[in-house]
Amino acid sequence: MGKNTKRDTFSGYEFTEIKKTNPVARVITYIFLIIWALVNLFPIYFMFTFSLKANDEIFGENIIGLPRNWLWSNFSSAMNTGNMGLYFVNSLLVTTASIAISIFAALMATYALTRIKWRGSRLMNSFLMLGLTIPIQASIVPVYVILSKAHWLNHYTTLIIPYSAFTLSMSILISTGFMVDIPYDLDESARIDGCGLWKTFFAIILPLMKPALSTIGIYAYLQCWNEFMFANVFISDSAHRTLPVGIKALSGAYTTDWGPIGAALVIATFPTLLIYIFLSSKIQESFIAGAVKG
Amino acid sequence: MKMKRVVSMLLAGAMAFSLVACGGAAAPAAPAEPAAEPAATETAEEPAAEEPAAAEASEGGAVTLEMWCIATESDSNRHAYEEAIKEMQANHPDVTLNWEAFENQSYKTKIKAAVQADEMPDIFFTWSCAFLGDFVSAGKVYCLDDELAKYKDELPEVMLGNTTYDGKHYGVPTTMNIVGLFANMDLLKEAGYDEVPGTYEDFIKCCDALKAKNIIPFGCAGKETWCVTEYLESVIEKSVGADALNDIFLGRATWNNPDVGAAVDTFQELVTNGYFDPSGAGLTNDEVKANFMAGKYAFYMNGTWNCADFAANEEFFPKVKVAEFPVINADKATLGQLIGGPSDTLAVAASSQNAEAAAAYAVELGKLICHYGYLDGCGLPAWTPYGDTSSVNGLTQAVSEICANAKSYVLFGDTAMNADDANTYLSYVDQVYGCQVNGTQFIEGLAKDIR
Amino acid sequence: MANNHKKKLDVGKGITIFLFLLPALLLFISILIAPIIVSVYRSMFDWNGFTEGTFIGLENYKELFTSGSIKFMTSLKNALLIAFFSVFVQLPFSLFLALLLGRKVRGEKSFLSIYFMPVLISTVVIGQLWLKIYNPDYGLLNRFLEAVNLGDWKHVWVGDVKTALGSIIVPTIWQYIGYHMLLMYAGVKGVSTDLREAAMLDGATKTQVDRYVVIPIIKPIIRVSVIFAVTGSLKSYDLVRILTEGGPFQTTEVPSTLLENMLFLRNRYGMGSTISVMLIILCFAFALAITAAFRDKEA
Repeated sequence: MGKNTKRDTFSGYEFTEIKKTNPVARVITYIFLIIWALVNLFPIYFMFTFSLKANDEIFGENIIGLPRNWLWSNFSSAMNTGNMGLYFVNSLLVTTASIAISIFAALMATYALTRIKWRGSRLMNSFLMLGLTIPIQASIVPVYVILSKAHWLNHYTTLIIPYSAFTLSMSILISTGFMVDIPYDLDESARIDGCGLWKTFFAIILPLMKPALSTIGIYAYLQCWNEFMFANVFISDSAHRTLPVGIKALSGAYTTDWGPIGAALVIATFPTLLIYIFLSSKIQESFIAGAVKG
Repeated sequence: MKMKRVVSMLLAGAMAFSLVACGGAAAPAAPAEPAAEPAATETAEEPAAEEPAAAEASEGGAVTLEMWCIATESDSNRHAYEEAIKEMQANHPDVTLNWEAFENQSYKTKIKAAVQADEMPDIFFTWSCAFLGDFVSAGKVYCLDDELAKYKDELPEVMLGNTTYDGKHYGVPTTMNIVGLFANMDLLKEAGYDEVPGTYEDFIKCCDALKAKNIIPFGCAGKETWCVTEYLESVIEKSVGADALNDIFLGRATWNNPDVGAAVDTFQELVTNGYFDPSGAGLTNDEVKANFMAGKYAFYMNGTWNCADFAANEEFFPKVKVAEFPVINADKATLGQLIGGPSDTLAVAASSQNAEAAAAYAVELGKLICHYGYLDGCGLPAWTPYGDTSSVNGLTQAVSEICANAKSYVLFGDTAMNADDANTYLSYVDQVYGCQVNGTQFIEGLAKDIR
Repeated sequence: MANNHKKKLDVGKGITIFLFLLPALLLFISILIAPIIVSVYRSMFDWNGFTEGTFIGLENYKELFTSGSIKFMTSLKNALLIAFFSVFVQLPFSLFLALLLGRKVRGEKSFLSIYFMPVLISTVVIGQLWLKIYNPDYGLLNRFLEAVNLGDWKHVWVGDVKTALGSIIVPTIWQYIGYHMLLMYAGVKGVSTDLREAAMLDGATKTQVDRYVVIPIIKPIIRVSVIFAVTGSLKSYDLVRILTEGGPFQTTEVPSTLLENMLFLRNRYGMGSTISVMLIILCFAFALAITAAFRDKEA
């Protein structure tokens, strides 16, 4: 009872807008939202049960049911023989550093492209968009040759630099979308107050880009975390291996045990899901903060 | 291409495999060899005889070598690699080996990129014939003639055919595999057969009987075309003979051979008669293999590397037998003509700083990997087996008996041909399986498209 | 004098602009532009990647468009089809979700997080999941069709020429709905509440607010989404590899799978470079066209 009244007042306070609409429409909306949520949660259930099965269940009759024997040993074999712990740390390091570099370079470039008027800014913008068009397979060998000539293989930076370069165009494009929304009057008044371009950037624009940061970060993360091609070719010592390569190495040439692969995928994915869920509330706060300021 | 790829190997009776055949039957009565249990440590004595030579080659000083291979944690060869490397470390404390294992498919990308950028490790795993051949013709591989000469008695020259280019040896074979006809005897019994039929007519009757009992005769993964070639190549070989097929694979004869066309039609009849699982078109090999082990198909033609896996499954192992595909045209083909041969190979980079030491190390390591791999049932030995081999699983022993009677081998088409042609070939095989082209279109198309 | 002063200012501004762009340009040119130049150069060679190649001018380009066995046109058609569905099915749906969640629905945060999850999950898992759905024998789809008496509709989904491409398009679109939704949602949330409320006070319905207030404001974000969707589709690769391997009979090849086959399976490095150059040109042309289209509308 108490719960019910509480919820009612809560909704009465915050969701007046929805209350105005037709209750039938509201119910339909929720049914739709919940069904869609289930559709999107299913892969997580699937991945989890997959990680606890053996090959005969993964490929046999029981493809989506709960495992008949809960093979927790898949996890220990992924951790011990597969060395997933180390690879996880490597991936985390590489991804974080790449995102940081990419965001920093992108924000600076976007500022120059959108908020300073100069001839050729459009051309430069198009030029930087080229990055979206390059298929990663095509650049493996040329980049590999460059890195090898520079004796720069088998370090973390061997991956960090190419990753931040490859996420750059996307980051610029997303931050452009956000930065053009910031009123130009702000720059004007800053200039009148005597701020130079640098100060305007750091003191005025950067704080306002906070909501965009998380968005760019997520999208850059998506590109780096699961990247396989570069990581496979550029890194040859297992000390610097990242998760996607480590997971792939769990399958054998002639025979493959899929259970430990499932377990490794859970290890690779669940922490990010948890971090994402935790962060997403922060992210939303930042969206709302951005909206109020904008 | 002037490179001569000797693939067809005529094994004169008792050559490589006689020892295997004996080993299976008379292992306890092999007093010349060390006793069964401590085999791993004791057999170390034998390679030790070669050790002074090897140590000489490595100039005595401490050397660090790097090796890439595909024996990942879950690969059936992993254990053989670990044992072999352990033994090598005991024999050569002055040599440090840093080895890394990569996944099969992505390794192909990795090693090719490494060759292009001259970043190869000292020792690397490779596939024989065309795959290694491209690296050899680019001058990236170290010649192993001097090193292999020391092992003449243990490694038959025929086993080096696939890694010999212009008369020079560039690779150390480890284990080899052939295509086997695996049969689920429980299902055959249901159809009234106690043995795998020995003639093609009986074989077809058996398939019909299976079909009448609602049992699917063949399982084949249409999504992975190499699985189709396991069937198709056997049918072609048993129709036109090993030499004819071999000549075509190696570019010495044209694809436009009506006998091959007829053989392809024979294969397609198997498809149109509904002997193959129609769902196979959308399945991967892992899925098909799981189906076979779950008792969905009576036959499964695939590489003999599966023996270890089948043997490891206690429930399934008693049911499965391996046999040779029957002869279709007795005028041209005979039993003992097999598909397969040594393909897994170790090679040494020409760019290696310690190429000589690496060569000595690679050859000895290859021998040990072969030894332990055979004991584990991962494949048949390319090297003459030594020590007690009675622990090898029954299926692998059955395969070595088939091989003991082998007259000639034709290497898998997609390994024998160069990369571009192999993929053209695979795309035609795909179309044959899907009944998009018939035998005539197959031979004419390949004759035109293969450069 | 004033003129001189202005020039000095200009030079100073130029340097500042350059410094702002410098980190991005350094990364960009060394890692992205240099390989393109190499690719363009290599595309004029008949080269296996290891030995000396032979210069053959534009022969590779000619072969690419005329040879039936390379299947470039098929792959292009497939990629464009994926792009089409992505822009006209996926994006509207993402926008719809973003707008719906932007209306302060109860549980907004949870829904948003859940809808984004498929993007976070590795394509390997998504691919395996859909293989189970499509499995001809025990797959969910065929079982479902059987249960509702539509057994005739059963297919070997990924192995049948008629259904294979569709079997790729559905999961591709589904997985990335959340991707675009989040991007658009961020935009929707950026629309100030004052603006919305003002419109509501004027008597606009919520749909009208979305249509006439929110969508125009988030147009730059929608443009970004469209560009991502199209270039992403043209470069699609992962799910094709897992679901069909380009088969049956190479009918579901996309440029990226062909490219990889040429580079690393067939050892035709020159031809592989040719495909990548074509792909780059194509993606770039689309990106520019999309930008131009949005600019026209804005103007």
